[in-house]
Amino acid sequence: MYIAGIAAVLVTMALTLARAFMGPTVYDRILAVNSFGTKTVLIIALYGYFTGRPDFLDIALVYALINFIGTIAVLKFFEYGDLGRDRPSQPDDI
Amino acid sequence: MDIGSFLINAILLVFLAATAIAVARLQNLFAGAMLFGIYSLLSAGVFVVLDAVDVAFTEAAVGAGIATILMLSTIALTGIKHESIPIRPLRSLLLVAVVGAALIYGTFDMPRFGDAEAPAHQHVALRYLQQSGDEIGIPNVVTSVLASYRGYDTLGEVAVIFTAGIGVLCLLGGSRRRRTDPADKS
Amino acid sequence: MQLLLDAISWICLLSGGFFVVAGGIGLLRFPDFFTRLHAASVTDTLGTGLILLGLMLQSGFSQASVKLILILVFLFFSSPTAAHALAKAALHGKLVPFVKR
Repeated sequence: MYIAGIAAVLVTMALTLARAFMGPTVYDRILAVNSFGTKTVLIIALYGYFTGRPDFLDIALVYALINFIGTIAVLKFFEYGDLGRDRPSQPDDI
Repeated sequence: MDIGSFLINAILLVFLAATAIAVARLQNLFAGAMLFGIYSLLSAGVFVVLDAVDVAFTEAAVGAGIATILMLSTIALTGIKHESIPIRPLRSLLLVAVVGAALIYGTFDMPRFGDAEAPAHQHVALRYLQQSGDEIGIPNVVTSVLASYRGYDTLGEVAVIFTAGIGVLCLLGGSRRRRTDPADKS
Repeated sequence: MQLLLDAISWICLLSGGFFVVAGGIGLLRFPDFFTRLHAASVTDTLGTGLILLGLMLQSGFSQASVKLILILVFLFFSSPTAAHALAKAALHGKLVPFVKR
């Protein structure tokens, strides 16, 4: 049963990879990378159960966190063009 | 390794190769950095399937997290398009093929995956498992290996991580100090 | 009881897998970035949630379940935030949403 889940995630990984290769905008690629990170979390969790040793979920946990931080950093870079500079103050910013 | 793990591993490796080719063909450096993130995630998946959990952990933190951000910072300083330099594809292909063949030839001498007779399991592992309880007195073998048998090694690693942390703080903290400067003058 | 739990967990895993694949197809086939974002969010919340729930039912009350709950909580906070930030960045970047005329 786990293998069915793993197969589904692998198929989705292939679809996501296709979107990351095609683009066309950078946002599509960021979305694909972010989505791919979630799928990696899923496949590590599923694989742990598939082999009967769900002790490696910590890695999935680390991935879930790093994926989020990475996406936010990339978006910050892309919106402001820099990672270290202070962002310009915008009153209508939410 | 059973057939299911083998299939998963093979599929992940195919994805890995496809990603590498896509990175090589891209002109946009930003998109390349993004695809490197995917590459790192995939290789970490391969490491998990190969039972190298600690390597996967490192790959998660360094490859997917830090390396992407470093690449983006570099792109922010330089530019998003890469200059088209005249390359000689045949010569590069030949070089890559020769090095790859040498590496594959080198793997023939490696012990089989999960082999109990491998040198890594013969050298000191037995002594760690049998005598570390008496010699060190710590029930957890991993802890006694890391903190006592390889104590200097661990000390060095901690020093490296400490230095890296200071370096990161110096790099990232710079802008914050600049921001407070005008307030000090006024 | 065990059989019932197994059945529910299998249903969760299978439907989660279905939603994951459906989201992946949407990510590939939808016409513009914002619709693709919508498709990817289905994968991240419903598909992931169902698969992790199915795994939780398999392991019962154990340390693995706690880790799965933590993963679920992180993903439920982080993936909508990431989707929101993506959409906002795309709007700032002058990407016009696809509208059927």
